[in-house]
Order: sequence, then C-alpha cells, then structure tokens
Amino acid sequence: MARDSSIPPESFDEILAWLNPDRDVAGSIYVQLREDLTKIFTWNRCADPEGLTDEVFDRVAKKVHHLKDSYVGDPKLYFYGVARNLIKEIPKKVKMQTSLQGTEPASDPRRELEQETAMMREDCLRSCLQKLRKDKRELILEYYAKDKQAKIDHRTEMAERLGITVETLRVKAYRIRATLEQCIERCLERMAQNK
Amino acid sequence: MKEEPVSDALLRQLLLGQVDDQERQRLESMFVTGALSRERVIAAEQHLLDDFLDDSLTPADRERFLAQYGETPAEQRKLRIAKSIQDWAASGAAVTAAGAAAGSRWSRLRARFRLQPVFMIPIAAVIVLAIVFAVIALRSRWEQRNRYLAMEQELARLNTPSMLRDVPSTMPPLTLRPGAVRSAEAETELTPPANAQFVELHLVWTQKERYPSYHATIRKIDEEQRYTVRDLQLDNSNTIQFRVPAHYLTRGLYQIEVNGIGADGTTGPAEEYQFQVNK
Repeated sequence: MARDSSIPPESFDEILAWLNPDRDVAGSIYVQLREDLTKIFTWNRCADPEGLTDEVFDRVAKKVHHLKDSYVGDPKLYFYGVARNLIKEIPKKVKMQTSLQGTEPASDPRRELEQETAMMREDCLRSCLQKLRKDKRELILEYYAKDKQAKIDHRTEMAERLGITVETLRVKAYRIRATLEQCIERCLERMAQNK
Repeated sequence: MKEEPVSDALLRQLLLGQVDDQERQRLESMFVTGALSRERVIAAEQHLLDDFLDDSLTPADRERFLAQYGETPAEQRKLRIAKSIQDWAASGAAVTAAGAAAGSRWSRLRARFRLQPVFMIPIAAVIVLAIVFAVIALRSRWEQRNRYLAMEQELARLNTPSMLRDVPSTMPPLTLRPGAVRSAEAETELTPPANAQFVELHLVWTQKERYPSYHATIRKIDEEQRYTVRDLQLDNSNTIQFRVPAHYLTRGLYQIEVNGIGADGTTGPAEEYQFQVNK
C-alpha cells in the first residue's frame, strides 16, 4: 500500500494495526480516513489539504507505539483531534487573484496561461471521456446536459429511469466527475511537460 | 447520548462554512466516524457544485462557495474542469435530443403497425422494396446529415461560455451591424487567415429590448443548409459574440439571423446580419 508521507514503515504498520487488526480492512480504513481528513481541511479553508493530511499521519506515527495501548475509543477520532489542532495552528489559505470568470485583460500573463490551458483542457476532456466506460460516459454527459429548471426535472427523470434516488445519482455523478478530473489533471500535466 | 439528526440544510451550511465551531466539530466528528454518511456529504457537495455551475446560488452563497472551493489554484482548476464537463455535455444536448426524437418517431410507427397485424406483411414488403431502391439516396443523405450534426456540434462547442471566455481568437473580431440585407450598403467583407480555426463575429444588437438569451442561425445565401446556435448572450456593449469554424466559410455571401429568446421561451423579432467571404 502506498504511503504519501514520510512515516517509517514500522510506524505505518502500527497505525494500520491500530485502525483494525485485519490488515486489508485497516488499509481501506486508512484510505478512507485520508480522504475524510482532506475534506475536513478543505471545509476549514486550509491551503494544501493533502499536505496537512500527511502531517496528521506523521504526527500520529510518532506516538502510535504508545497510543495503540493507551487510547480508548475510536482511533479515527484521535486523528481528527490532531487535524483540529493543525487547523488552529496554520493560517487560512491565501486568496488567489486568478478569476474564474476570466475577466482580466488578455495581456495579463496569468490570463494567457489560462487561455492556453482552456484549449488543452478541452483536448484532455475529450480524450478522458473516451477512456470512460460507455455507461459512465453517457451518465455524466446526460447528467450535465440540461441546466436550470430543466435540469431538476431531467435528473429526476434520469434517477427514476435508473431506479435510484436523485441523491444516489448525484453521488454517481460525483464519482465519475472525480475520475474525469484526475484523468484531466494527469493529461494536463503530461501536456505541460511535453511543451 | 443520542446524536441529533443532520438535515440537508445543516449539511449545506457546513459545506458553505456557515456553522459555528462547536457545531462544526460535532458534524466533522460524525463524518470521520461514519455516523454522518459519506454518501450524503458527497451528494450535498455535488448538489452545491451543480447549483454553482448553474448560477443558481444567491450572491452571498456563491461568494461563500468560492471561498470554500475556489480559492487555491488546485480548487480553481477543479472548478474549471467541472465547468468544462458541463459545457461539453450541454453542447451535445441538441444532437442527443435530435437522436431521441428520431427514435420516438420510429417507435410510434412500430407501435402503429403492431396494432394492425393484418397489414404487416404487405407493408413490410413495400418497406423492403423502398429500402432497396432508396439505399444510394439514403447513404448520401446520411452522410449529409452526419456532416450537418458534426457542424452543429462544432458550432455549439465553439460558442460555449467557457470557450468564448477562455479561448482567444487568433484574428481580430469582425463587427457586423444589422440591416445590411435590407439596405443598399456594401456587405462587410471577411478574409479568414489560412491558419485560423474559427472566425469571431461581433453582432451589434440594436433593439431596445434585451433578452435572457439569443439564438443565431447562419446560412450561406443560395444554400438551404442552416445552422442554429442557442443560448448566446448579449454583453454590456450590446454585442453578441458568435464564432464560426473557418472551414465552413468558403467564398460567398452569408446571412445570420438573431432572435432574442424571452424567459418564457417566446421568440422576439429577428435581426439580420450579412457578410461576404473572400477566399
């Protein structure tokens, strides 16, 4: 299992054992916990949520040897406690000046960079959509095909047709979008490297 | 101690950073331990993003949303990607709808035959014969139709808000004023550069009435084929930005008809623009 921080292997094993005696179960709890903590850092407007999640595991790794015998309760709450401390310690993220609306003048170098990326993003989107399984591709395109009021009716009709709730449909769309985002980000990075 | 239930409204407040510290810690603890379902949180986040992309958040919520999910470059990149997916899907919607409509016509025909089985054999024979004799004509029409759909899709893609906003034109835009068709003045001339992928036209809107959106239909004079682009917007300088693929523009006279579309879907009076392509 890949680790994203500099935890010594023995401490990492201890963390897994503390999360669950079954290593496979512990592995999935670890992955889920990382995602949860990253989300919590995002909700708390922290810059670099992934980096802070690494820091939580680094800090716990230093104490896990004693903790696993002395701590009473759900270990995930201990990780959360460390995350809360970190949130208090670090400054909030600095607002970036880059606009989503693209209102800056064309001579602004950041705008030029973004314009360039928009074309690359379109190419990557097309290629990543092709890599998706057909049913997923159709679902995400149909999900986003309408907007405003038409969207609400359309998604209700889609959910009924698929035999799921609108909430479950949203979760499906979220997961496919997340896969697409990762693919597009990788594609953009490759394009930037090849330039 | 029994946990208080978490309403959708409260979840949304958490995601928009509107809960106090104590409530935040309660909800976050529930989330980490699984007492608050991840699926619900994900669905609420997706709902919020959908509302953001559709511009249906209140200005205050939009600001809060951007503060939570659109401040760092990585977050902004995610939002831009989500917007691209939405724009891409929306640009393909007309084509999908056309396909669905064609499908429903066949379904109606099939259902009608099924109701009258006594006619099935002779009708089927006639249909088979008709198909045999029409194969060549059909193939040509299908090819034409595919070209038409591809062109409509390309036009829709070129005119999505994100493309118009983010991808600059490689040549200066050509400004067109309405009325050239009716007046005796010479048409505006256009010579697209060889390397241009598209041509940007700025259509000046002179009517007093402003509409939530506009449809533009372009055709080459003396040709039947016309292409419509929907959901165009009027900017603050009373201009509608409209892009046309350069490969579509061959030597000849072109006409664009623009209609304002009211909030209730009604079509307002048209403006006509005309230009001459030299290449």
